[in-house]
Amino acid sequence: MVGAWAVSTLLCYDRCGAAKLDTHSYPSHSVSETAGVDGPTETGQPEATVVVDTVSKHYTVGNRVTALDAVSLSLAEGSYTAIMGPSGSGKSTLLNLIGGLDTPSSGTVTVDGQQVSSADEDERAAIRGTAIGFVFQTFNLMPRLTAIENVALPLVFDGWAEANRRERAAGLLADVGLADRTDHLPAELSGGQRQRVAIARALAPDPALILADEPTGNVDTDTGGDILDIFDELHAAGNTLLVVTHERHVAERADRIIHVEDGTVRATESLTGAK
Amino acid sequence: MDGREALRIAIRSVRGHKLRSTLTVVGIVIGIASVVTFATFGASVQAEIVGDIGDSSAGNIYVFGTPADDEGFDRVIQPVFTAGDIENLTGIDGVSNVIPRGVVQVSSIRAGNQTLARQQMTAATPSSITPDSVVSGTAFTSGEQEVVVNERMARAFRENLTAGSTLTLVSADGSERPVTVTGIINGTRGALPISNFARQPRIYGPIDPFHESVVESPSAGVRQRAYPQVTVIAEPRRIAETKTAIETYLTTESDARELSGVDTELVARSGSDFVEEISDVIDQITRFVTGIGVISLVVGAIGIANVMLVSVTERTREIGIMKAVGARNRDVMGVFVIEAALLGTLGSILGVPLGILVGYGAAGYADVTFALAPEWIVLAVVVGLLVGVLAGLYPAWRAARVDPIDALRHE
Repeated sequence: MVGAWAVSTLLCYDRCGAAKLDTHSYPSHSVSETAGVDGPTETGQPEATVVVDTVSKHYTVGNRVTALDAVSLSLAEGSYTAIMGPSGSGKSTLLNLIGGLDTPSSGTVTVDGQQVSSADEDERAAIRGTAIGFVFQTFNLMPRLTAIENVALPLVFDGWAEANRRERAAGLLADVGLADRTDHLPAELSGGQRQRVAIARALAPDPALILADEPTGNVDTDTGGDILDIFDELHAAGNTLLVVTHERHVAERADRIIHVEDGTVRATESLTGAK
Repeated sequence: MDGREALRIAIRSVRGHKLRSTLTVVGIVIGIASVVTFATFGASVQAEIVGDIGDSSAGNIYVFGTPADDEGFDRVIQPVFTAGDIENLTGIDGVSNVIPRGVVQVSSIRAGNQTLARQQMTAATPSSITPDSVVSGTAFTSGEQEVVVNERMARAFRENLTAGSTLTLVSADGSERPVTVTGIINGTRGALPISNFARQPRIYGPIDPFHESVVESPSAGVRQRAYPQVTVIAEPRRIAETKTAIETYLTTESDARELSGVDTELVARSGSDFVEEISDVIDQITRFVTGIGVISLVVGAIGIANVMLVSVTERTREIGIMKAVGARNRDVMGVFVIEAALLGTLGSILGVPLGILVGYGAAGYADVTFALAPEWIVLAVVVGLLVGVLAGLYPAWRAARVDPIDALRHE
């Protein structure tokens, strides 16, 4: 079923393919140091969609806890990256920071050229709504909105007209193979169908970055495979993907794995050649 | 954010909890309905009374004494308007008729073998019984043992009184006086109604022989009949100036001024003055009672706030989702405020017709003509909406402040 759907231009209609030249050198030293294999540091590489620069995050729960300690990394435009690490390693914190759901204690996070770390709440909401597409482990669909309304939701907050929202949402649902399920409520859909609605929603604003948090965690193995196939298609279409997972086989679909442990990047593993 | 989308989300949420939403709306319905009921009933009573007096009594100017302070009410009903005063009042420009009135205490009235106890008789001139007020028969004749009764009084006896019936008036000292009923009048029309808009059984007789109060007139120096109240019928187009002329006479040259104490104020009130005063009183009562209705609205508002707080807690995850896909705090707030406003508006929409219905029933029960209070109805709807918005503000603000990370983790 998944193999049957064609990657439409809807999935990446204006951001992808244009290999903008980057003469800017990003501070990817920590990435290079740990693995020494990649990092879009050289000129001629695509512009980085995400730049995390010496980001630390501390919480005060009784005593001070350091969730992230001076992490730096960057995601090139069109790249497919996986973050792996045990629970408590700080990978969720990293995802929240890149996703603009949280702000770092120090350091900067830049997504699609916008400083997420220094943005105020409304600005971060706007970045989340337009530059980032979230795919969650538990789908996180609005239970009382139909599939098409769920997909169109980010566009509501971005001020799209209703007719345009519906048109785009219907197109995206067709792309993920749910053209006949547009008016179903999430409760009337299977786990895999729900996750595909969530993917369609993530794609709705044509985001610069697709962030997935354990996207296969709540579906069976076959369905999980289907979802990873969709990610492959999205990658092939030129989207930038970042997947957080603790499953090796999920991470291996990416072209790079960043291993996070104890709030730092332990290693970066390049898989481009292996695929 | 698109208002229609926020409304759509709010409607889905209200529908998603039908019982809870219904119970919340019922609170507002009761509040709005009671406000509308009391307002409608007040308006009906007012319209009825004002209509009664206003129709036919606008040209009547009532002259009486009133205490200058709150004390000494008993002095007021003393007969101070002498026959000389009546004559002088009749001579004032614009006055077409002067009807002196006296109150005759009657311990009981007997017709056949049936007795009505503790009655009061009004003594007046035959001209006070205007033709338009007579239902059957004629007015009494001065100097005769004749009376006129209103329809209530006629019906008060088992065998309804008619023109020609005979009554026996028993005075306080036990002496009996047989009288003939010459006519039945409609008590709400004509020159006398101000004393009986309360629709009690009434009996009227001529001043001679029923009214016996006599005082010595300071101006004439002889003993004259004197009356506690006088009704002046003014020419309809000259009511205001006639009233002023009467007041001037009362306060300067009248016997009544001499006879009444310094603490008594002699006043002339036109029918419209009374209408205003009565309207004011009814307005105040309506406002007070409606205020009680407002209390139930407040209770309804608390209900909405409570339900919205529960809703915010329940939908924490949804709030997190909305924020993750780009909702700003004010978007989230909007969704919840609209939901609360929706509950308030639903309550208003259902409460107004219910209130009108109950008000209609109450008006029918109290035997007054039904009248709407449109300004109160508009106010009730606005208040319902406002109550919803206000009750929703705090829960919505709480919703807006939800941390999306915690919210997305929320089960």
